Amino acid sequence: MITVRSESFTYDDGVPLLSGVQLAVGAGEYVVVAGASGSGKTTLARLLAGLVGSDAGCRFRGSITLAGETVRFDGSPADPRIDRAAWSAAVAFVSQGAWGQLSMMSATVAEEIAFGPSNRGVPTEELRRSVHDVAASLRLTSLLGRDPRRLSGGQLQRTIIAAAVVQRPRVLVLDEPFHGLDEDSAAEVAAALDALRGAGTAVVVCDAMLPRSGPADARVLALAEGHPVFSGLLTEARWAGLRRYGIGTAGDPPGLPDGLGSRTGGLGSHPDDGEPTDHAGVRPQDSPTGAGAATPSPVVLTDVGFHHPTGAGESAPTSDTRSDSDTGPAGAGLSGITLTVRAGEIVAVRGPNGSGKTTLLQHLNGLHRADTGTVSVLGQQIRRQPTGTFAGDVGYLFQDTDQQLFERTVLREVAYGPLAAGVRRSEALRRAADALDVVGLGFVRELHPYELGFVQRRLVALASIIATGSTVWVLDEPTGGLDESARTGLARLLRRHARSGGAVVMATHDAAFATAVAHRTIWLDGGRLVPDDPGTDGRMDGRTVEAEPADRRRGLGWGHGRTAGEAQDSQDGRS
Amino acid sequence: MPRRRTLNPLTELLGAVLLVVLVLVVNRWEFSLAVLLLVVVPAVLVSGQPRRIGVAIVLVAGPLLLSSVLLHGLFFPEGRVVLLDLGPARVTQEGLVFAALMGLRMSVFTGVLLTTAMTLDLPDLIATMTHRGWNRKLVFIIGSALGLLPHVALRARQITRAQQARGLVVGRGPLSRLRALLMVTTPLVIGLLVDASERNHMLEARGFSSSGPRTSYLPDTDTAAQRTGRRVATVAVLLFAAAWLVIGAVA
Ligand SMILES: Nc1ncnc2c1ncn2[C@@H]1O[C@H](COP(=O)(O)OP(=O)(O)OP(=O)(O)O)[C@@H](O)[C@H]1O
Ligand SMILES: [Mg+2]
Repeated sequence: MITVRSESFTYDDGVPLLSGVQLAVGAGEYVVVAGASGSGKTTLARLLAGLVGSDAGCRFRGSITLAGETVRFDGSPADPRIDRAAWSAAVAFVSQGAWGQLSMMSATVAEEIAFGPSNRGVPTEELRRSVHDVAASLRLTSLLGRDPRRLSGGQLQRTIIAAAVVQRPRVLVLDEPFHGLDEDSAAEVAAALDALRGAGTAVVVCDAMLPRSGPADARVLALAEGHPVFSGLLTEARWAGLRRYGIGTAGDPPGLPDGLGSRTGGLGSHPDDGEPTDHAGVRPQDSPTGAGAATPSPVVLTDVGFHHPTGAGESAPTSDTRSDSDTGPAGAGLSGITLTVRAGEIVAVRGPNGSGKTTLLQHLNGLHRADTGTVSVLGQQIRRQPTGTFAGDVGYLFQDTDQQLFERTVLREVAYGPLAAGVRRSEALRRAADALDVVGLGFVRELHPYELGFVQRRLVALASIIATGSTVWVLDEPTGGLDESARTGLARLLRRHARSGGAVVMATHDAAFATAVAHRTIWLDGGRLVPDDPGTDGRMDGRTVEAEPADRRRGLGWGHGRTAGEAQDSQDGRS
Repeated sequence: MPRRRTLNPLTELLGAVLLVVLVLVVNRWEFSLAVLLLVVVPAVLVSGQPRRIGVAIVLVAGPLLLSSVLLHGLFFPEGRVVLLDLGPARVTQEGLVFAALMGLRMSVFTGVLLTTAMTLDLPDLIATMTHRGWNRKLVFIIGSALGLLPHVALRARQITRAQQARGLVVGRGPLSRLRALLMVTTPLVIGLLVDASERNHMLEARGFSSSGPRTSYLPDTDTAAQRTGRRVATVAVLLFAAAWLVIGAVA
């Protein structure tokens, strides 16, 4: 169906990527392209999607064959141009960064899904039917009347996938499609992909990790630094030792215990980080009843209720939609949330897509204000103070990184927080540089964040929180889209922050990560706290984390063996 | 944006364009002022988002006005009545009058066009153009150009939120808000330059630029009466403009 033969691919003047890579996907096949950050998988995805040639600043030598027709590229200006409109009629592409794929010409989810087919002249009756069919298969029916710009992260992701699936393309390329989806949604997406394959669509899924499960005949192409390192069945790939290329398996716990590959790196914001427990003497398990009156708990929520204003023109949730968490009984929002997070504690917030995790998190730094109940951070109640006044205390990682980064260079981006907190410029830049070193990105300081790959952009966002030195870290899907080494580095960083007296609240769909890193988990559904996930026993609450020996606690295990070439997996997801 | 309205967006858009044409052709300050006070101001007030539109108009028209005053107020070759002599630059009465007239006209243009664009129901407009069987290229150009507005608005909102989450304090006072507005401009503009080509790719990849007939998910909200109205209005304005120009030339 589609074949890519790449001799080399170069961005600007960077190192060549994708040398000697060949990928052929036949009708109805399922191929996983796996690779760590910088391995070139997004570049390959973009090649398949026909995003090559006219793109200034990239040179491709090789060929792409689609349905028997071959286009050759020599890396010269005379290369043929791919007609994207025609190409995309056969090859649909779902890239990372969902909101950048919204047409902005639709008022509702239904129109957004219909946008592609209507551009291709699908008759209205058929259009409506297929939109409703796809919506039903991806549990979007109750959201069809909603404004796509006001969805939760997972709901938006599902919408974007639906918009691609509805086109019934001959080839469907998806970059990290399962990222940010809850288990049920992921299963539904997988089922929808299966149905497409049954009808002959070739499916290519790019992922930083090997999937835990997949179709029996799924194949894997593993990439490392632009070279193919494995090609074969998914069942074999698991035993092929791909871990040494930084390719883990989704659902595995982060590789915490080894603590090797250490490197002395200071968390700029926590000069006392090396000192183990005596920061306020607090470990969560030591302070079962709130650690006394002296230090207030960093985060206290009492009976918080909140309603998202419904946009004009959106149809209110109808009563016939089943009461899944997409729209709780009383519409979208929160009710009766009571939560205390102690110093030194890591709390995971879990629950299905649209259950209110992000909504809850945005109450902790004032981005949302509770309609009822109270929210206090470090003893200060959030009332009507400007949001910016909480930034020193609360570092916030947005679910969608593209919503978070706005500066011209990576260094400026990271230095923004300290500067806004009134730190001197030179000191702010030093802290920023330190924070970038902590996440292993010291070598890209002067690049524009847009030039970085997805994982790197996420790490830049993380570095900006480190540099600000906030006590409370509020992280929305911090592991989404991360590769193995970044995920492990993150786990260490969080534990370290907690150990130095900080508090972490993170929303996550990554069960293994939550289990390994968080002290306890709270579950949301339809904007309410629910006792426990039926699938888990309650023992996770109040779990203690074995302390690592102090001398092993330093390095975060990031960025081993990275070169500047990594930045070349760029434009990654920027589409 | 309210979805239910009396006029089809195409009618609204055409109305705005014809109004701009009239202001251009008539070229009298009384007329421009009348349009500003009797059409633009009430339209902004009933739009449901007077502040947002007001700010946008000030942001776009402000710099234009300022440069017009500087240019014509200080350097107007035909100026006779000198109010202030600054060596190479002379502030003349004629120059100031001219600057005021130009400024008035520019405010009317930005007012009419921005109010229309910012209240326009874009999905409905595209649906109407599709149902009317408009040329695909034209639909693409209008759609992707106007689609930039909600994109910019969304992006601006995201950037402000991100900046606030990182410590930008936005108080309630107008000065603080103005500062926040300025803070958002640079990243917004740079981000949009980067986004623009990606957005174009995305729209191409979703088939918006393909040739061949398009269909619409939304039903047709256009009416025969409005269609007739649009034709009549267009013809009337064209005739009037021609007549006005001819009479002006003869007289
Ligand atoms: N700006 C908004 N306006 C209106 N409704 C919103 C808005 N943002 C979110 N919602 C709705 O509120 C509910 C909770 O959304 P939220 O983003 O908190 O979910 P979430 O738990 O973070 O989901 P996900 O796992 O998909 O990220 C959803 O039904 C969502 O559609
Ligand atoms: Mg969320």
